[in-house]
Amino acid sequence: MIQVERISRRFGSLEAVRDLSFEVARGEVVGLLGLNGAGKSTTMRMLTGYLPVSSGSISIGGHDVLTDSLAVRRQVGYLAEGVPLYKEHRVSEMLRFQGRLFGLSRARIKERTAHVLERVGLTDRARSLVGNLSKGMRQRVGIAVALLPAPDLLILDEPTSGLDPLQRVGVRDLCRELAQEHTVIISSHILPEIEAVCDRLILLHRGTKVADGTKAELLSAEGGSQLAVRVKAERLTHERFRADLAKAVPEAELTSSQEGPHHEAFLRCPADPSGRVGRLAAERGWVLTRLAWREASLEHLFGRLASGRMEEEAAQA
Amino acid sequence: MKGVTVIFRRELAGLFLTPLAWVLLLAAVGLNGFLLIAMLRSSGGDVNGVLNFLLGLGGAYWMLMITLPPLLTMRSISEESKSGQLEFLLTAPVTDAAVVVGKHLAVCAFLAVLWSVVPLYGLVLQLTGVTPDWGQLGMGYLGAVLVSALFSGIGMLASAASSTPLLAAFLGFVFNIAVLLLPLGASSVGGRVGGLLQPIAERLNVLQHLQTSFMRGAFDTADLFFFLAWTGLFLFASVRIVEARRWWT
Repeated sequence: MIQVERISRRFGSLEAVRDLSFEVARGEVVGLLGLNGAGKSTTMRMLTGYLPVSSGSISIGGHDVLTDSLAVRRQVGYLAEGVPLYKEHRVSEMLRFQGRLFGLSRARIKERTAHVLERVGLTDRARSLVGNLSKGMRQRVGIAVALLPAPDLLILDEPTSGLDPLQRVGVRDLCRELAQEHTVIISSHILPEIEAVCDRLILLHRGTKVADGTKAELLSAEGGSQLAVRVKAERLTHERFRADLAKAVPEAELTSSQEGPHHEAFLRCPADPSGRVGRLAAERGWVLTRLAWREASLEHLFGRLASGRMEEEAAQA
Repeated sequence: MKGVTVIFRRELAGLFLTPLAWVLLLAAVGLNGFLLIAMLRSSGGDVNGVLNFLLGLGGAYWMLMITLPPLLTMRSISEESKSGQLEFLLTAPVTDAAVVVGKHLAVCAFLAVLWSVVPLYGLVLQLTGVTPDWGQLGMGYLGAVLVSALFSGIGMLASAASSTPLLAAFLGFVFNIAVLLLPLGASSVGGRVGGLLQPIAERLNVLQHLQTSFMRGAFDTADLFFFLAWTGLFLFASVRIVEARRWWT
């Protein structure tokens, strides 16, 4: 459905997106994730053809975004950041305008309007002025507008930004439903949101892709969950400490360090081995000063990737 | 072409849904109505003279011509670019040219409605028993619409090139005056600058093209073409700037 090949975009001296490549298959739901300024919106704007790429190429549904722009636009429903709608129009008028832009017949517009309004739960607000709606409702109108021409590809830029938690859940559920029928690309800087909706995540940091895969893949790449162990024992050698731990928890991947009588180890393994480690410490007479299990989560991964990248760049500079 | 119609309808509806358009309409109609009555009284009932004054001869006409189009076009690109609505339009399956032309035609249609009060005065006068020179009145009206189209084209260009509506209105206003006074300026400024301006002034002489035909009730396709060609040129430049904006933003 989408092929992105080595695209870059510069704004003057700032390189907002650098050498980004990915592919999205039909029916996939992909989350673009990154901190503010990571290049999410820029990437989406390039996908819609609104911003031309500085280099590289994008093709959607077999059409090049720049040379065959109109063919691409006919397939894409796009909700831009900030939901730009005409506030002076009624919801139904806004939808009709979108239908006409896509060249739909009057009957088709009527049918689709009823369908999408029901979809976003705004059937009773069809006659309301867009400007009078609350922010959450306006966001849903924006999604309805993007959805109206029944596009193959939906591009939603920060569909949940600025909403209260309850509205956010509503929009998130809606996105999840849409994911069943459309190819969807959603951007957000809020992790749980994306995690809940997308099968696949692309992490952007400073305009480059730092990770791409399903949640499980990303977590295993990150190293998964781990147990931190810290003990105090006067006559314990570090080798002995390591050997005992390795015997007690054979499935774990072990890293350790020593500082005087303090021995520290990290055990990477899928399930929490605290019980076995505790028993071991009791048998050997070690003083356990720390025993902490940390479940792997995308949040940790995200933070680590982001800060890791930053350190890397600082080292380069 | 279909895209132009869609954009045109939305823009026209949008214009009539904003208070600014109604305020401008009210001001223009009020001014013209006041002038009609005042001039009819002072001229002793010279109906054709007064209608001609309202459609081209008078200062009020040119004042409205210079100020109204930039005020109507100022928001169309510069503000929509900031609010993101332009992004919505330019990612919809319509060409950039359709967006610019549709918006321009909407402003022209609004101004055509605004100037239609003068033929309406003619109709009222007809009903009260005085028959105006309909040929002259009709041509005067057509001329007014064509000048409006030209100045709106300049306004579109100013709006496309500016970051804020205020700047767009100001630029359009200044540029309108410049275009109108160009022939006068070129002849009064001597020397090298005048020599440079002269050929442009000869080709962009709005007053002359209006006075030789439309205001006299005559129709000359050369004059019609003059207005359409210049309007088209400004719109073409606007489309190119809208395209180029994608590279700046």
